[in-house]
Amino acid sequence: MSSEIFNPNPTIFAPTKSARSLPPGVRLHSLWLDDGENRDEEQDDSNAFEAIDQDEIFELIRSISDPEHRNMSLEQLAVVSAPQITFDERNSDRLTVEFTPTVPHCGMSTFIGLSIRVRLLRSLPTRYKIDIRVKPGSHQSEHALNKQLNDKERVAAALENPALLEVLEQCLSTVGRDVDAIDT
Amino acid sequence: MEALQRVVRTWIASEQEEDVNTAVSEVDNGNASLLDLVKALGEYLTSEEDELRTKGVEFLSLVLSKCLPQKLNRQSVRVLVNFYCGKLEDTENIIPALKGLIPLTSMPAFASTDAIEVVRALVNHVKMKALVQSQRFMVYTIVDTLVAKHRDALKSLGKEFLSGYISLAEGEKDPRNLLLAFAIDRVLLLEFDISAHVEHLFNITLCYFPITFRPPPDDPYGITTDDLKNALSACLNSTPLLGPLAIPLFLEKLTAGAPVTKRDTLKALDSCLPVYGPSVARTHARKLWNTLKLEIFQPTDSATEQAALHTAQVLIKTLYSADEAENKGSEDIEGLAKDACEECIQILREPEKSQAKPAIKVMCAFMETTPSVARFTLAQVTPHLVKLFLDPDELPNRGPTLRLLADVIVAARDSMPKDPEVLPAEEDIPLAPYKDEVLGVLTVGLTARSSAQSALDGLKALVTTRGLLTDEELGFVVHKVNELLQDGQEENEDISDAALDLLTTISVSAPRHVSETTLPLFFGSLPDHAPARDDQAARLKYWRTLSSLATLCKQSDLFETLVVRLLTKLDLVCDSAPAASGDIEPSAAYAHSILRTIADVLEAKIKLGHADVVKYIDRLVPRVYNLFIYSALVSEGALLVATEPRLVAVAARVITLVVQTLSAQRQEPFVAALFAAYVHGDVKQLAEGHQKIPSHTRFEPFDVEASSSQKNLLALFSAAVVGLHKEVPLPVSDEAAFLDMLLRWVVTVADNALQRDAVVHTISSIVNKRIEGLSAFLTDKLDVFWTTQVASTTQPPEKRREAILTWTWVTKALLVRGDPRAADHVDRFFQLFGDEEISWAAARAIGGVVAADNLLTKKNHAVIKFLYAQKYCTSVLPRIIEGAKSTDGSKQQNAHLVALTSIIKSVPKAVYVHQMPTLMPLLLRGLDLPDYEIRASVIDTLLATAEGSSSSATKESSILAEHASSLVSTMLKNSTVKDMPSVRVRISALRFLAVLPSAMRYDVLHPQKAVVLRELAKVLDDPKKAVRKEAVEARTNWYKFTG
Repeated sequence: MSSEIFNPNPTIFAPTKSARSLPPGVRLHSLWLDDGENRDEEQDDSNAFEAIDQDEIFELIRSISDPEHRNMSLEQLAVVSAPQITFDERNSDRLTVEFTPTVPHCGMSTFIGLSIRVRLLRSLPTRYKIDIRVKPGSHQSEHALNKQLNDKERVAAALENPALLEVLEQCLSTVGRDVDAIDT
Repeated sequence: MEALQRVVRTWIASEQEEDVNTAVSEVDNGNASLLDLVKALGEYLTSEEDELRTKGVEFLSLVLSKCLPQKLNRQSVRVLVNFYCGKLEDTENIIPALKGLIPLTSMPAFASTDAIEVVRALVNHVKMKALVQSQRFMVYTIVDTLVAKHRDALKSLGKEFLSGYISLAEGEKDPRNLLLAFAIDRVLLLEFDISAHVEHLFNITLCYFPITFRPPPDDPYGITTDDLKNALSACLNSTPLLGPLAIPLFLEKLTAGAPVTKRDTLKALDSCLPVYGPSVARTHARKLWNTLKLEIFQPTDSATEQAALHTAQVLIKTLYSADEAENKGSEDIEGLAKDACEECIQILREPEKSQAKPAIKVMCAFMETTPSVARFTLAQVTPHLVKLFLDPDELPNRGPTLRLLADVIVAARDSMPKDPEVLPAEEDIPLAPYKDEVLGVLTVGLTARSSAQSALDGLKALVTTRGLLTDEELGFVVHKVNELLQDGQEENEDISDAALDLLTTISVSAPRHVSETTLPLFFGSLPDHAPARDDQAARLKYWRTLSSLATLCKQSDLFETLVVRLLTKLDLVCDSAPAASGDIEPSAAYAHSILRTIADVLEAKIKLGHADVVKYIDRLVPRVYNLFIYSALVSEGALLVATEPRLVAVAARVITLVVQTLSAQRQEPFVAALFAAYVHGDVKQLAEGHQKIPSHTRFEPFDVEASSSQKNLLALFSAAVVGLHKEVPLPVSDEAAFLDMLLRWVVTVADNALQRDAVVHTISSIVNKRIEGLSAFLTDKLDVFWTTQVASTTQPPEKRREAILTWTWVTKALLVRGDPRAADHVDRFFQLFGDEEISWAAARAIGGVVAADNLLTKKNHAVIKFLYAQKYCTSVLPRIIEGAKSTDGSKQQNAHLVALTSIIKSVPKAVYVHQMPTLMPLLLRGLDLPDYEIRASVIDTLLATAEGSSSSATKESSILAEHASSLVSTMLKNSTVKDMPSVRVRISALRFLAVLPSAMRYDVLHPQKAVVLRELAKVLDDPKKAVRKEAVEARTNWYKFTG
């Protein structure tokens, strides 16, 4: 890893809340407020399928730390956002995750892409086929980057590199945590 | 003399402790003098043989260290000092000589001249490098004693002593010696004229900075890193003379060190800078600031960042405190604070960038330094941010700008003196000069979505600054917040939360504004009639409004308004004629939400200890009774909103909450009115309200013939009784007979769970509190109840299960108060374990009797004995374990397993944790029981164990480790939708798998890793979102888990 800093003073964006909260006790599709009893049975009875959606995938990657600014998440730097995650209309198992480097010459972009790839590899069912690309026009070597990130062999080779893997694990160590917890 | 000689001879030969003691007592008794001893030792002390000579001196030193100090006169001390100093030259005798000098130097007869002689001898003859640690320790002990007792003599030696000591102390490495050396160093630095030796003293103290010593495990000497750090730090901050040398060293450690070193250095700077003083600080101010800046703007971690900010404050205080007097009133300052502020302002020109945050932190930190710097900082940053906010080009950055401004207001507020008694004068409020413009931009900020949150934070800091805003201005803020709430309440939940929080804060000091302008707004938006069943949006709207009101109306004036307005609303909703469709459920649900809001606020108020809850026994409770009794009486045949059982249940909660806050004296008349209504049908004293209770129908809920809606109202009876103090007698002629009536009522009259629970709770509460007159009831009546209702197989199983529940509650009443009769009650449950129909219900009751509940609580004035759950477990656990292990019939065994899981679920972990090794195999078997509820609770128990063991590497983790592979495979099976339909169990199992890596050593789990990752990959495709979330978490933890 080079020690060059590509963007020492990036713009910060306010994170969005994970989900809109309802007043306590409110259950949609019910007339009644919940009294805190008999909750479990209701939850248990159906195993109706809840599809994996944009928000669920965004939830997985929003709190990855930026490799250059460890105390900030990709979401805070607006590198990733929910609308940049799209499903293929013909095949719901194919999805594209687009991300936006903070500056066009950002040398960390490959690494960011790789950390998103690894996070999704570990957290999504194997049936998914994921494309990871930089936002068109947001990086000077966009084409090379996209190619690199979606080349199975090269991703696998990168993951064989112990030094790289260590930094990667550090960036991933913040995932799943509350956004507010990182932001201190 | 003869005797002494003999003693000496035997000691030389055998070195026995008792010989020393004999000699000591000889001297102490006055039978011999020390001089005699010296004579007796004569031949040895002068012997040519090294070994003999050493032994001779050793013996003398040993006696010296043990005999009474006053036995030595000036003369003897003089002689001995001379003698020992001479022996220091003799390399063979240094060690025993040092041993002798230690007691000698602390003798009262030891004079200053002796001190000088000893020091000279030490300096000239002792070669520290040739000595081992314990011997060097003796040297330090001697110097320490001399410094303590003969300081002036040593001072008179001047350079000779200082350079001599420095040469002794140089190169010391052992922590035990260093602790002593640092103590000596501090005295020298503080009191001696060290101007010529600063550099040398620096060399024997600062070379140890930072302390990196780590005590070995089980260190017998008990010296900690902190002991050394503190001792060294006491040297470093002892004199300003060290400053010019120390600061460059600190700077070097700050730039190059690891985070721990950095924090140590910052801490040292914090304590040293004020001592070193402004002139030293000024020389290095720039360099220090540049280094600190790096730690603040590119922090390695937040602890170091905080420490650096604090050091920056210390630096500024050191620099400016002295000039404070002259600067009073002047707006301008010179030097570092000015430069630093300007640097930060420069960065703050881009408020949206990441560097703006540390910059504002620096400025906020400056506000807590000296008054002139604080004034200057605020005068720089506030107008800058205000101007930025108003700049049309910066429109998109208004959110971040206000975020920064809010931080500034908080810092300005916190920099004020905190004495709550004194209202600060205007000139003591830092923000006072900028109040109008700040208030202006904040209220403008409220109107835009992107900046509203920050504006609210800023306003909150503003209104909590004491003495700043006038009442009128508070009214203005409330008005602006009201507008915000009206505009975008539904779209933005976070903002309305923050807005309510702000209003709540204001209502503490100025409730008038909120009650006059905000509340009408909310009440106005509550509909008078429930929205139709399919109008989800309208329902969500009133839920939000009620939830906002609940947050807002805890203050007593506001709560009073809330109760009045909501009761009116409740009457309206309940009175309204049923819609054409006859569907009253939406109305009932609306009424339920209203009552629930009142109950929630009451509960919050009780938690906050508000005293005004009591008065609602007159203002709220009679209205509730009136509404429900009226509805029950007139409902015969017709549908009425307030007869809905769920509504009755929430009304019961309201009543309990109010009744439990009353004193026993106030409860008595209330109970009289309650019984008059429920037992004698006289409702006039209990119920009061605008619905007129009909006189032609009688209210007699205990009657066999009573309608179900009347009987449901026993829930409101029970709600009042369970909150009574134990001193309050029931207004009946015979409490036992009353209980007997209730018991029979439960069995024969009750027709739903609400009624049964109500009456059983009443019985339980009365048994718990008023047991004195009930022994006949407890033995005879209950025994009959058991035989006919529980044990008798002629009863249908459903009835028997209900009876078990009744039995559980009575047992519970006895158990929590530590009554011995509980044991017999519990014993009867065990007798049912062979009964096919109800064995599981009985087994669950074993845990049920100690499970936490809302009824027999301290708040409800129940009689509760300390540690009753522990005692209960100690008595039944062995029996259950025995039964679960035995092999006579799997039914009995399973019942015991069920009992085990239910009891473990009900008691705190500490109660059973020491039994874990025995319990573990049983719990694993419990995981095979075909009941999801049980499985989930077993997994939760295991989860608690695993979480406990991750914090401490204890026995628990070894218990888990023993069963690692079976645990992993069972949990995997319980987490796949194919094998486990229950979502709850799947989630629990995945949570357990997620904590496992942190609870066990890698080598134990390593064989499982591949399987877990592969199996969890399948769970990632679970149909339920909540399960997938846990699966991701678990799988991530296992990926991270490496050796």
